[in-house]
Amino acid sequence: MDLIWQGIKSAFFLIFSGNKEIYEIILLTLKVSGIAVIVSMVFGMPIGLLVGLNNFKSKRFVITIINTGMGLPPVAAGLFISLMLWRSGPLGIIGIMYTPSAMIIAQVLIASPIIAGVTLAAVQQINPKLKLQALSLGANKIQVLWILLKEAKLPALAAVMAGFGGVISEVGAVMMVGGNLKGQTRVLTTAIVQNVRMGDFDVAIALVIILLILTFMVNLFLTLVQQRENKTGIKDSGNNRA
Amino acid sequence: MEHLFTEENKILVIIGSNGCGKSTLIRLINLLESPDCGRIYFNDKLITGNGVDKIMVRKEMSTVFQEPLLFNTSVYNNILMGLEFRGKKISGTKEIFDYLVDKLKIKDLLKRNPKSLSGGEQQRVALARALILEPKLLLLDEPLANIDQLSREELRNDLFDILRAAGRSTIYVTHDRNEAMIIADLIAVINEGRIEQFGPKDEVFRKPASEFVAKFVGVETLIEGSVAEFKDNVCRIRIQGSKNDIFAVAASARQGTKVTAAIRPEDVILYNIEVNPEFSSAMNSFMGEIIEIQDLGIFKKVEIDCGFKLVSFVTQNSIERLGLAPGKKVLASVKASSVHIMAGRQ
Repeated sequence: MDLIWQGIKSAFFLIFSGNKEIYEIILLTLKVSGIAVIVSMVFGMPIGLLVGLNNFKSKRFVITIINTGMGLPPVAAGLFISLMLWRSGPLGIIGIMYTPSAMIIAQVLIASPIIAGVTLAAVQQINPKLKLQALSLGANKIQVLWILLKEAKLPALAAVMAGFGGVISEVGAVMMVGGNLKGQTRVLTTAIVQNVRMGDFDVAIALVIILLILTFMVNLFLTLVQQRENKTGIKDSGNNRA
Repeated sequence: MEHLFTEENKILVIIGSNGCGKSTLIRLINLLESPDCGRIYFNDKLITGNGVDKIMVRKEMSTVFQEPLLFNTSVYNNILMGLEFRGKKISGTKEIFDYLVDKLKIKDLLKRNPKSLSGGEQQRVALARALILEPKLLLLDEPLANIDQLSREELRNDLFDILRAAGRSTIYVTHDRNEAMIIADLIAVINEGRIEQFGPKDEVFRKPASEFVAKFVGVETLIEGSVAEFKDNVCRIRIQGSKNDIFAVAASARQGTKVTAAIRPEDVILYNIEVNPEFSSAMNSFMGEIIEIQDLGIFKKVEIDCGFKLVSFVTQNSIERLGLAPGKKVLASVKASSVHIMAGRQ
């Protein structure tokens, strides 16, 4: 019990003392996961939209692949990216193994199916007749995708949250392809593992608290945006009906 | 080969029961579905098949569906959405915008989110969104079907005012014959995916081509019989299972042919039986006993047993004046020109 209490006290000291190493770790974590989520949105959302809105022969098969991807074990993603980027691997020549770039690629592989899957589920909730209505108003294919994505924007934010939550808390893949190099590829999760291994529980607890706060803040922001959007509709109905 | 057409500035009403293929037809014309067979021409150009720029064709039309299908943005943005998709300048539409929001009574709703509107209000927005595009062909797929009775009548009047004023070529799908009666220039009656009858409104209402059409356009009495005599454009029909004959005006008829006589209920006049039928110019007069009187709102539906079932629509005033009630004997008369004959069941 004393160990935990001591750990929590040190944790707060570490957080507020302006420890440079800690802040570097936080910044790198946000950078890697932030870029990974943005890139995953670029891949995942259009895939989710196209699969969700169109009917084609192998649709079920493609959905199954996406759903499997959502549950992809991070270590599998890590292993795959390692094999690709290893010096003698097919992409070894670009020399980015054990760099933040490699970590971003691994996280994109993890987050893209999550974002695609949640987007797909979101657009399938939209009334399919809205697509017909947009077409009959004269919309081209891109305008149809855009208007329906806007229609699904609240659930789409959930996709971003799910993607971000998936990668920021992930340790296996970033450890494998990043290597947890101090000052270069050390992020919150890998640092936590390292400190627990060394018995530095106070630092580990501090880092966990920071990780939780970060995740909370990002999700709080997205939730506020989501609920504000949602509220607009409800507020209208309440105030104006009379 | 069956075909349907409409002309510029005319309103073609397609009526038929639910699930008969009316809405599919609208989606086919709007190129939202592809036909398995058959062709569609628009402005003399074939628009079905390969090599057609569907978006260009759709931009000449606009559709209002049964559901309002509004997007999650303000009413104002919803109304302008089609203009944006079509790359049209919003500034040039101020006059029609003001006219439509005023006529459709949605001026005060422009900032609202459609989710906060009633069904009728939402459909008004959907109509404005379609009408502001000033399409060459307006497609209306039962736009009033999902609206409660009270709002429906009001919206129907507003919509029909706009359609008449705009003189726009319109295809209007409905299962409500009253709507068809008010607004149609041409009517097509569809049954199970086939055209039962297509022609000018009066022709379809007055001269239904089949029992299905007759029932659909409001004929309540259908009497089977065979032609007993044809002379001077008047046809005497022997009613099957009754000792009475019925007279109908017809262009031609062959003796012995099986026919069905159709009578609209508003054409059946009822008399207190003290009136002598000899004093009437109507060729058909039948003694009968009232079986049932149903209240239809404006009219009362009176069913009379004359050896066959005859239906008449009368007002409450007539019910009271003649003392009509079930069991009462009455004289029912119909002019021969109001009896329409169709080929009978073989």
